[in-house]
Amino acid sequence: MEAQASSFEIGEMLSTFLASTPLLSEAWRLCSLASTTAPMRFVSELIGDVGYVAFSGIQMVDVSEPASCREMVPLESASGLIGGLFHPLLSAHNEGEEPLMLQGGLLKLFFGCQNFRDQVLAVLEKSKSMVFTGHSFGGSIASLYALWLLCYLHSSSSSIPIFCITFGSPLLGNESFSRAILRERWGGNFCHVVSKHDIMPRLLFAPLLTHQLHLLLNHWHLSMASQQIGNPAGVLQVPDEDKAEFLRFVLAYLERASQLAVEGERREMFWPFGSYLFCSKEGGICLENAVSVIKMMHLMVATVSLDECIMDHLNYGDYIGNFSSQFLKRRNFMQGGLGPCSSYEAGLALALQSSGLAWQEPAATPAKECLKMARRSDRKPILNCANLAVTISKMMPYRALLGWYKTFCDESDDQMGYYDSFKQSGSSKKGHKVNMIRHKLAIFWNKVIRMLENNELPYDFHKRGKWVNAAHFYQLLVEPLDIAEYYRWGTHKVEGHYLEHGRERRHQIFDKWWNEKTALNGEGNNKRSEFASWTQDSCFWARVEEAREWLANLRSENDPRKKELLWENINNFERYASNLVERMEVSKDVVAKNSSYTLWVEDLRELKSQVQQIRP
Amino acid sequence: MAVESFREMLKIDEDLTVKACSVAMKAHRSSDQLIQVENFSGSSSSEAVIFSFPGSGSEKDWFSDASFGAKSAKGSVFSEYLRSLGTDEAAFLNEAFLQKFEYIRKQLQDKVEEAVKGNKKIVFTGHSLGGPVAVLATIWFLQEYVKPQNAKPPFCVTFGSPLVGNHILSHALEREKWSGYFIHFVMRYDVVPRILLAPLSSIQQQFNQILNFFKLKSMSAGYESSEITNDASNFFTSVMRNASTIASHVACNLMGSTNLLLETITNFIQLSPYRPFGTYVFCTENGKLVTLKNSNAVLQLLFYSCQLSNETELQTVAYKSLRDHFAYESELKENLLGMQDVVSIDPLEKIGVADERINQALDDLGVSTAARLCLLASGESEKQKRKNQDKIDSKKPEIDKILKELESYRDASKDHKVGYYDAFKLQKSQNDFKANVKRLELAGIWDEIIEMLKRYELPDQFEGEKEWLEIGTRYRRIVEPLDIANYYRHLKNDDTGPYKIKGRPRRYRYTQRWREHEERMEAGSSEESCFLAEVEELRTRTVNGIIPSSDIMTRVQKLLGQVEEWSHHNVIGKDVFLEESTFVKWWKSLPPHLRSPYINAQVLSV
Repeated sequence: MEAQASSFEIGEMLSTFLASTPLLSEAWRLCSLASTTAPMRFVSELIGDVGYVAFSGIQMVDVSEPASCREMVPLESASGLIGGLFHPLLSAHNEGEEPLMLQGGLLKLFFGCQNFRDQVLAVLEKSKSMVFTGHSFGGSIASLYALWLLCYLHSSSSSIPIFCITFGSPLLGNESFSRAILRERWGGNFCHVVSKHDIMPRLLFAPLLTHQLHLLLNHWHLSMASQQIGNPAGVLQVPDEDKAEFLRFVLAYLERASQLAVEGERREMFWPFGSYLFCSKEGGICLENAVSVIKMMHLMVATVSLDECIMDHLNYGDYIGNFSSQFLKRRNFMQGGLGPCSSYEAGLALALQSSGLAWQEPAATPAKECLKMARRSDRKPILNCANLAVTISKMMPYRALLGWYKTFCDESDDQMGYYDSFKQSGSSKKGHKVNMIRHKLAIFWNKVIRMLENNELPYDFHKRGKWVNAAHFYQLLVEPLDIAEYYRWGTHKVEGHYLEHGRERRHQIFDKWWNEKTALNGEGNNKRSEFASWTQDSCFWARVEEAREWLANLRSENDPRKKELLWENINNFERYASNLVERMEVSKDVVAKNSSYTLWVEDLRELKSQVQQIRP
Repeated sequence: MAVESFREMLKIDEDLTVKACSVAMKAHRSSDQLIQVENFSGSSSSEAVIFSFPGSGSEKDWFSDASFGAKSAKGSVFSEYLRSLGTDEAAFLNEAFLQKFEYIRKQLQDKVEEAVKGNKKIVFTGHSLGGPVAVLATIWFLQEYVKPQNAKPPFCVTFGSPLVGNHILSHALEREKWSGYFIHFVMRYDVVPRILLAPLSSIQQQFNQILNFFKLKSMSAGYESSEITNDASNFFTSVMRNASTIASHVACNLMGSTNLLLETITNFIQLSPYRPFGTYVFCTENGKLVTLKNSNAVLQLLFYSCQLSNETELQTVAYKSLRDHFAYESELKENLLGMQDVVSIDPLEKIGVADERINQALDDLGVSTAARLCLLASGESEKQKRKNQDKIDSKKPEIDKILKELESYRDASKDHKVGYYDAFKLQKSQNDFKANVKRLELAGIWDEIIEMLKRYELPDQFEGEKEWLEIGTRYRRIVEPLDIANYYRHLKNDDTGPYKIKGRPRRYRYTQRWREHEERMEAGSSEESCFLAEVEELRTRTVNGIIPSSDIMTRVQKLLGQVEEWSHHNVIGKDVFLEESTFVKWWKSLPPHLRSPYINAQVLSV
């Protein structure tokens, strides 16, 4: 399927959709209730079938340690303490990437709220779906609770819809964390509302000092708690030059982050996950591309005073109120029609207007570029995936050819079967042709893996049935040939055996995909009535090769301890293999009269009878 | 380009339309009569009979539940046509409307018969709740009289009608080429056509007051009420909020959003299933008539044309949204019979370019920039569907070429006593391998088509196209046996289960349903292309001295009966009866009393 060229900007339309639902206003109502009536705790309410849990924005964050608040800790080490709360998330991590890291203080805050878990589960029982929400630090706890519940439900394979809405919450983790969420297909479960100038979500890019943070937090907590009485948020009592200095400091780091995000070292950097809804008095835009989220964070505050930035952390009530009633009003940015703009340009202009950036502001041009970039890179994986689908359909004849070759081998007079025929095909024309196909398929699948690891494919690619099946089938077809090729040239004598040293990464990855799929679906295992078309253990022949070596070694080995070990290995394999054969999980080439497996079995029998003769 | 008149655009006379409107309003006032019939003999064209249905009711005449009150058309009188063929998804219709129609069907039938006998043109019409009944009556008339008996195609003209069904209703009417018979008039602010975009629970508080206002107003046109203002504002706001949700949700998808947020949120809210269909005529406040056909675009316009230019307008517009529901008769008399100003905004691409008339018309409907983008996106998506079809249409020659090659493969295999099914299953020769490659090539092309149908990415008319039906049937008959051979050759029945249940690709299921629909056959009765799968399944159960259960025996007998019939109609090839074929070998293993002389004769003849 060819995806059409994109001619629409969707950030604004998505936010219009969000604004028309009751979700945001209900969530905010409960957030402010939690902040005024339940400091350091949460409130819950059932609205229709939807259970809402709102965490208070007033939380005691441990900022006493001298280390700057930018510090992140690995999720693995922290959650190990409490028994794999986030196991599915951690297993979505790819080797070679930075480990999943979270802001230390926020993680601690979550662990401090652990005793709410039973209460949350009690709400869950009454609801058909659940919304977690929170303002400020409350949003961070809400995010972690939502993640925890997603992990929890994942392992009990139940599918209750979960949604998390945060208002002005700080960033939480690094890029690996964000990617793991995407790989689990949970990106769409998080929506972070950030008002145009709110400094809180932008704060963690800068290495703040403890006392500065204290001052800010105290100020905010006081104002949040007093919201009920209707006090206008006061102004922070700090000399003006200090304020300006502080703001310059934060903005400088924010700018640097927005540069690093595009090209540069992202390790140890905070990284957004889920979608961001930026709202202004004029409306909102919704973005999910992380790079553009960071850039917009920077562009939207480029020209403001610190007081505004601090106040805006408390203004969500106004924004949401205004935002939720915007559907009634017609919003024109130019008179009459679209004029000379293309639909995309018009959409962009609308999006900029909604984000509160005026057309003539200096930030407008980079913001426009930023939105364009987001749209492009959001679509790229989809286009790539569609192109791969076209390529793989062109590979179908190769698959048929290999199938045909296998039948040819299995039925030829030498009775060696698929594996051994190919291994000994030498310079035959057929063998050569098959080898070419083997190469072509390897190149294709290596490319798939490379693209996936460079994030050029949809994040959930490895969970899409079509691709998991295709990769698995490829493996059944071709891995025996890969093994044959490996042993044909005696590579194992130089490098060591295939299983340990020669197996290509793609096969290991495809194993993982397949195992995840079958673990999830619990493939029913009916007993076969005839041999399988393809041996279900794609490494079967590599095991045979090792077993052959053990048998050979046994004959020349004198050390009884080593001999015992070899016997043990041999017996294990024999049991394993005969079990497969009995269950007909192997294809008939395994039991061909002259296959290496059949020969090995005979060899073993002979040896056993010799041993028997020696030992009276 | 010359400006077209209403008659030229919609193929219905203005005076007939206006007459229909006044008949519809009259039915409204005498609601004790379920059906009103009036003859019309116009100035220019021939005669017509106008059927109209009264249009008031209470809450339960709108919603059968607290949500949207929609129900699957499966099992109803509409189940044959109102579905998507390949996916076999039935349309959803408003349950209360469906019940009302069922209630009058018998009575309607008698009156309609009479009109059909007189060979008169029939117009179904209704105002308000009369609209949906007119719509259902029209569909019923199309499927019962026009399709089988070639009766004169009807017209359906509604005024301020609520929506009736979901996107599959619109899809099915487009496929059958019936959409053109439906014309819906909507006053710019009339709230009634928008009501079903909101779930009952969101408007229940005010709904009875609103319906009461409608009732009083319908009895006396001059009725006004200032007490309703507050309820009207709340009601209007709720309807608009829900209309905004569904309109923006649809727009996000039309614009190609990939954000999973959209999907997640649908679990937390109630989205209206209802979609418009047919031609909509929006009446602006300054006497213009704006027509459009694209279902998605109409949905957008239903929402956006009611937006306010500022908050202070709310009360006025909300009251107008009730009052205007009764303004159709005077509006049409003035603007249809007098100086017409009719603007069509199809094709929607014209919104992008500077077309002064269209721009002016959209401004008159209060369509904002964002709204124009949504309209464009609706048009763009339709265009993309056509492009998709062009792409697959261009593959027809290729499909045809490969089918011909496979046909000659089939014919050549006859010489080897076994037929192409068994030859393919054995895969002995180079030709069998080549046939397999061809099978895979075709599967690639067809799977792409099926995938697009599943996502509704092809034009609605696609599944009704003769040429595709024919090539699909041919494909199914030639190639499906190869898929079955491959399935049983690789013993996939051991891995996954019987072919017909677990292994049958959609490309064959879809094409089978196309034929069954076209020929009005019973579902499942055109399974000739996969009878060998049943043979394979039964073969393992009737051989090796196993005494088959009575259940298996019934299947054997059914299959043999079908084979006779299919063979008789020449929809299965003669090669099936070759001496060494799987079928004949199995057939010979059956007890003699099951072996009919007919099949015996077939076996001997080849």
